[in-house]
Amino acid sequence: MKVAGGIEPLSRTPRANRNLPQLLGSFSTLAEGLDYAAEGVTGFNFYSPRGSLQHVLPYAQLRRMAMSTARKLLSLGLKRGDRVAVVAETGPEFMAVFYGCQYAGLIPCPMPYTMYIGGKDSYIERVAGMLAAAKACTVIAGDDLLGHITAGAAKAGVARVLTHDALQELPEAATKLEPFGPDEDAYIQYSSGSTSNPKGVLITQKAIVANAQGILREGLKLTPDDRAFSWLPLYHDMGLVGFCISPMLGQVTVDFMATTSFARRPALWLKLMSDNNTTITYSPSFGYDLAARRINGEAVTLDLSRLRVAGIGGDMVRADVLDQFAAMLSVAGFKPRAFLPSYGMAETTLAISFVDPDAPIRVDSIDRHALKTMGMAIPSAGERSRSFVVCGKPMSSSIVEIRNEKGKALGERSVGRIFVSTPSMMAGYFENGDATRAAVGRDGFLDTGDMGYWLDGEIVITGRAKDLILHNGRNIWPQDLEWSAEQVEPLRTGDVAAFAVEGDDGDDDVVVLVQCRLHDEHAIETLRREVSATVHRSAGVECKVVMVPPKSLPFTSSGKLSRMGAKQKYLTGEIAEIMQPVFLQAAQ
Amino acid sequence: MTDTVAQICTLLAPFNSNGTVLSASTDISSDLNIDSVTVMDFVMEVEDHFDIEIPLNILSETRTVADLARVVEARRKKE
Repeated sequence: MKVAGGIEPLSRTPRANRNLPQLLGSFSTLAEGLDYAAEGVTGFNFYSPRGSLQHVLPYAQLRRMAMSTARKLLSLGLKRGDRVAVVAETGPEFMAVFYGCQYAGLIPCPMPYTMYIGGKDSYIERVAGMLAAAKACTVIAGDDLLGHITAGAAKAGVARVLTHDALQELPEAATKLEPFGPDEDAYIQYSSGSTSNPKGVLITQKAIVANAQGILREGLKLTPDDRAFSWLPLYHDMGLVGFCISPMLGQVTVDFMATTSFARRPALWLKLMSDNNTTITYSPSFGYDLAARRINGEAVTLDLSRLRVAGIGGDMVRADVLDQFAAMLSVAGFKPRAFLPSYGMAETTLAISFVDPDAPIRVDSIDRHALKTMGMAIPSAGERSRSFVVCGKPMSSSIVEIRNEKGKALGERSVGRIFVSTPSMMAGYFENGDATRAAVGRDGFLDTGDMGYWLDGEIVITGRAKDLILHNGRNIWPQDLEWSAEQVEPLRTGDVAAFAVEGDDGDDDVVVLVQCRLHDEHAIETLRREVSATVHRSAGVECKVVMVPPKSLPFTSSGKLSRMGAKQKYLTGEIAEIMQPVFLQAAQ
Repeated sequence: MTDTVAQICTLLAPFNSNGTVLSASTDISSDLNIDSVTVMDFVMEVEDHFDIEIPLNILSETRTVADLARVVEARRKKE
């Protein structure tokens, strides 16, 4: 696909529109927002893995490409509301399809790509599950991943797989474009549910516009002089809503590098932000950690003084990591006040709460024992304490309640389950009424599955009520780890329990308990290695494999594995490793 | 051991925290107990050292040092 430039050297889109008044999300649909942004000169810029400017896509050009792509999609005979899956590789092609769907009245479903060494098989499984759940009629991918996607599409029974090039070669349908209206859907996002049972979050035009307005006006307090930078994956809510949609609805420029480029060169993020005088960026805590570790002596050559929002979301916000980053980058003019902790999830489009962008981060130290035994957040210092970063006030349109087990709303410093009601609530999990009813109550409140407490009207997140494992900003379903481990001979269904044990720093360590019927030491260690390797290949996560006696894992009365029960027994020592520690030491 | 395999083993050595003996048959994703983020760090070293780019689909089909050496040699001819 040809994008801007041609023979002339590329020049990135400017920071601000001089002749177009800034509107902060005052639109009723995404297409309407892009129509307006296209009147200005701002847009998207894409950087190569080594940091050179590769593609420039002003919003005006994005709109033209999107309308042309819409007509090409419609030439396939697709019907209004049909789902078009598209691999969300960071670049102009994805943007053209995502926004093309908006103009064609088709629902785009951004799909992940594989990033792991040896991750092929689990990727194909994952894609097949998503395609089947979305009942997608068409899937679009880059040349690279075509083989994997074709395999996934075959499993899911999706008839049509196209490359971006093949899509662009289609004739344009001569029909008049009817973009999605204010009462229609906008997109489906897959960041929820396990591989075996993925759930597509269906977001409406109303929800996305409401959330973007909150993000731009209250969360970021966007100005015409802002310029954003993102390496976040566009199949994830923080990347898609935070950077592919919201900045466009505020007509500011975004500079992108691919997530895969960030993974290889985290420090390039900082360098490109310095080059672009970036004012807004976002990352889970681990991204700041990686970048700070890799910048080494180069920090002094950078200028991050313009950065006023260094947002944090997607994982437990870690004060120690932020402190290290700030210390490392102070020579580059980075101001710790730029840190902006926030809280949200795909089910509420993206954002729920933000800290005031002009205020410094606030850390609350509470007594660890009282937290565990009484569910109370009692201020405390010293060895028995644990620190949490305060995640801000709910946006004005949202109502957050922290409830106890009986459903009663709690006050200050009592830990409970977090519930949210918001105009940016999903329409539901796509064609999955049971899952939707399990998540959203009759009162319209979403059960976030997170635990937390109130502090001066701000939310503090303490952990999760669900079994979810949080690793480097990714949600990992323990079922997925268990399922993959159970494929290793001679293990059977029900032999494996996976869960996270939270370290004191808030990071999750993954523990996998395996019921072991073997006796030979050598065979046991081989099994341990194979389970570890299989889990690693399928989820890209290292784990501690613990061999436990047969029939030691607890099950619920309905015959389901009790993950919480297994974790409890492991932590108390009731279930323990069958191999002698001496042998283990020798093996390690 | 071919030259490429030897060079990859040298690049891999700093990531080899559990003392595995590195050879052509070492499974990078499972024998070394390194997480997905650190693996990418290693991939960057390989790309920079040989001045190549390894596409995602190829990376996802790569397991052993020998696999990676074949990828490196094929990409070097191409670029």
